[in-house]
Amino acid sequence: MIPIAYNVHSLAARRSTTIAAALGIALVVFVFAAVLMLANGVEQTMRATGSPLNAIILRKGSQAEMQSGIEENAVGVLRASPEAAPAGSGTMSTAEVVVIITASAAGTKGGVSNAVVRGVMPESFMLRQQLQIIEGRNFTPGSDEVIVGRGIASRLADVGVGRELALKRNRPVKIVGVFSADNSSFESEIWGDLNSIRAIFNRQGAVSSVTLRLKNASLFEDLRRRIASDPRLGLEVKREPTYYDEQSQGLSVFIKTLGLVIAIFFSVGAMIGAMITMYAQVAQRSREIGTLRALGFRRSRVLLSFLLEAILLSLIGGALGIVGALGMSFVHFSTVNFQSFSELVFRFTPSPGILIGSLLFASIMGLLGGLFPAVRASRVSPVAAMRD
Amino acid sequence: MTLNGVSTSAAVAKQDAAAKPIVTLRGLKKSYYRGLIELPVLDGIDLDIPSGAFEALMGPSGSGKTTLLNLIAGLDRPTAGTIQVNGVNLSSMSEGALADWRARTIGFVFQSYNLIPVLTAAGNVELPLLLTKLSASNRKDRVKTALRIVGLEERMGHLPRELSGGQEQRVAIARAIVSDPTIVVADEPTGDLDRKSADEILDLLVKLNREFGKTILMVTHDPAAADRASVRRHLDKGRLLNS
Amino acid sequence: MTYRTMLIKNAFRNRFRSILTITGIGVAILAFVFLRTVVDVWNSGLTAAAEDRLVTRHKVSITMLLPRTYYDRMGNQPNVSSIGYANWFGATYPKDEHSFFANFAVDDDNYLNVYPEIVVPPDQLAAWKADPAGAIVGQTLAAKYGWKLGDKVTLTGTIYPGDWTFNVCAFYTTTNRAIDKSSFLFHWKYLNDGPISDRMREQVGWLVIRVKDPSQGSAVAGAIDSMFESSEAQTLTESERAFNLSFISMYAAIFTAMDVVSVVILLIMTMIVGNTIAMGVRERTHEYGVLRAIGFTPRHLMVLIFGESLFITAIGGALGLLIALPIVNGFGKFIEDNLGSFFPYFAISSGTVALAAVLALVVGLASAVLPAWTAARLQVTMALRRLG
Repeated sequence: MIPIAYNVHSLAARRSTTIAAALGIALVVFVFAAVLMLANGVEQTMRATGSPLNAIILRKGSQAEMQSGIEENAVGVLRASPEAAPAGSGTMSTAEVVVIITASAAGTKGGVSNAVVRGVMPESFMLRQQLQIIEGRNFTPGSDEVIVGRGIASRLADVGVGRELALKRNRPVKIVGVFSADNSSFESEIWGDLNSIRAIFNRQGAVSSVTLRLKNASLFEDLRRRIASDPRLGLEVKREPTYYDEQSQGLSVFIKTLGLVIAIFFSVGAMIGAMITMYAQVAQRSREIGTLRALGFRRSRVLLSFLLEAILLSLIGGALGIVGALGMSFVHFSTVNFQSFSELVFRFTPSPGILIGSLLFASIMGLLGGLFPAVRASRVSPVAAMRD
Repeated sequence: MTLNGVSTSAAVAKQDAAAKPIVTLRGLKKSYYRGLIELPVLDGIDLDIPSGAFEALMGPSGSGKTTLLNLIAGLDRPTAGTIQVNGVNLSSMSEGALADWRARTIGFVFQSYNLIPVLTAAGNVELPLLLTKLSASNRKDRVKTALRIVGLEERMGHLPRELSGGQEQRVAIARAIVSDPTIVVADEPTGDLDRKSADEILDLLVKLNREFGKTILMVTHDPAAADRASVRRHLDKGRLLNS
Repeated sequence: MTYRTMLIKNAFRNRFRSILTITGIGVAILAFVFLRTVVDVWNSGLTAAAEDRLVTRHKVSITMLLPRTYYDRMGNQPNVSSIGYANWFGATYPKDEHSFFANFAVDDDNYLNVYPEIVVPPDQLAAWKADPAGAIVGQTLAAKYGWKLGDKVTLTGTIYPGDWTFNVCAFYTTTNRAIDKSSFLFHWKYLNDGPISDRMREQVGWLVIRVKDPSQGSAVAGAIDSMFESSEAQTLTESERAFNLSFISMYAAIFTAMDVVSVVILLIMTMIVGNTIAMGVRERTHEYGVLRAIGFTPRHLMVLIFGESLFITAIGGALGLLIALPIVNGFGKFIEDNLGSFFPYFAISSGTVALAAVLALVVGLASAVLPAWTAARLQVTMALRRLG
């Protein structure tokens, strides 16, 4: 076997061309990894939002809480479901109303964003353990105070503790606190008292959803069957993680599709760059290659050696690209989610699978880009060693 | 047996071997083709080279001496004729088989040394051994031995660019003998060297021939080099001149 | 022998490498053009906006409804030639659940007057006005589902749940290609009189206004908003352009990402070309030395090198554009037919072509900077000593 040291030192000896080709590959891997990290970020944010023991009840056919409506008189019955875990004299359950407001986006001229305003009951905080007040205090039940998630706080103009939101004429709401929620989609929401919010938006008499904490996860099927079997109710129930996962699908698929198409285009460019570099290497080293062949190294050994060198080159580029993509983990990305039609703040979230996949992608680029030059190298005749 | 006894046996063995030629060429022809135009380089060579010989191949530029060397070393194929080296018929061997055969049988010394620039002296010398099944420690020993024979053991870790021309050629010779080949093939080994280095190299080649019994085939322009060989053959226009 | 012949000969000295480089540039330009076209078309809503149209929506949220009485109250505004209104219906087509097209309930008389770009044949329009369950369907949408005049189409409501059946009475075409040809319009009265909750009756989603004099637009907007300043539901009236911009701004992050990607494409191109030119320069060092010895100045050398780089990028760019035009436009037809709601037209704009050409030029210059500089700094004696 031709020693790998030969390839390593050859790459090191021609530093500038090696770096140029590696950087080309690094850029492609950066885009590839960043896109996957972004899609992963969307999914992770949504996944962090749902708890496996929570079940959310919505009107049948609504794709998001925003479209759903449940009549007031049904709420009590739903909250008293036998599958729900008991709490005090009732159950661990809540009813919430979701409204979308349009507000000016921070830092843009004429830019707006849609934010979710969620009217909640005190029980909501029990079901959503992720919430932590990080600034100010929680709102007083029954008042016109609200708290804002830290994600949306940075995205909207003029939003912070002590500021006011003019939601209804002559009835502004005061922001009294900022909360975090474990990087879930709740961080992109504004929370207030259920009745106050309903009054402000003229939604009295109905809620958007009812959420129950199940006694244990296996009771979900019973609940689902019971709800589905009563067509008068016109409701459906989903596990919270499932519901939120569905919310992320559209955006995540869009990001992945667009990103991968772009990455594939780029990869052609990077492979061409690697090919040019490797061909030049073969041309410059034809005397060396001839010598190796004269000494008795077979064609296949030479081909393998140069293929390995190309893959080594691409792995260097891949590593650089991954480092760059990891650097993006500090960047927040926010856009309006297609399904919920409201702002979602998420991050570039790496995973071991993405890192391995990126290195694999880099290796494949190296393999394909280096194939023809490696074949050319293997074709060098031993007689080339004799030429001066 | 005494040291004398050993050397006597060795001399007897050499004489026996000298009887049988190690290289046999019959009707060897080689032409290159430019489209349909034939450019003949070797025009029917018959030659026997005895084992243990130190032969110099000489001739004007374009006479075909390097081509002849290439054919004997299994680097190239003849257009017609047969080549037998150590009983093996080269003309019928495939590329891959030739490569394996070269690794076992031939040691190369080139005019421009042809050391791999990114490997150390030791790394270069080790190359032929990578084609064998020897263990890493065995290889290391052999490399050390080879470099000791050429007198460059302390330069093991140096890169070619850190060595002088003469030193590079000595490393090349170490590489040529490290796998104990049957024939050492040298193409203008002193061509790029100054007089002093050239003499050192020739001394080394003579040592390999006399002390280690290596058959050496050398193509050369240099009359001083030719003088060191025991047989001189002349090529002109693709034919051997009777010497 | 002129400069031009010299640099052309130099460019093709290593034919294979030059061809690879040109291919790389071609692919990159193709990707660039595709990306910019996606961004262009997505932003085309801005170009579809008429100068003389305003949109009035609920101040607090794009998703909230306004009382229909506002329409009556707005009628007497000076400077206004017509007012129409519409509700977002948001239904899905049960036979193709995952595809999306816009469906609205619009007022009978004036909506189409406000949008003269929407053209309906007079007889079909009359048929629609006579049929309470009638629908006007965009040509592209009708072609996609094979709907003919007189067909019955049932949609599944989400905001207004239930199955809604319509009669296809008319097809529309547009005079402005940026306007969606895949919309579905029906009578507002049909919605209002239909099985919806009382809470949602007598409400409109937004109003569209056509002003007589575009320069009076902001004055009219101000007048309308102050009219409803003291009402329950306050309004926000803005030019159609601003309204469209607000939607686009919701996805601003995605556009930024695409711009970043476009820049990355250019970087990759620069790297590929730069590497190729640098290799050529290195190989010809001895020759450059000879030229200098003869009497060429460093500046002459730089002209040669820049020229060679520009030549390669020009060919690559031209090739890329030549391939891009049929591919993107061909692909575009497919997109227009299937994703017509997002991309009513998908074609390369002359602006994109010009931008691509300019950027190819920039890449040609940028790639040559480093190699040209090293060549110019070369000492003649060093260059002559260098052996290939």
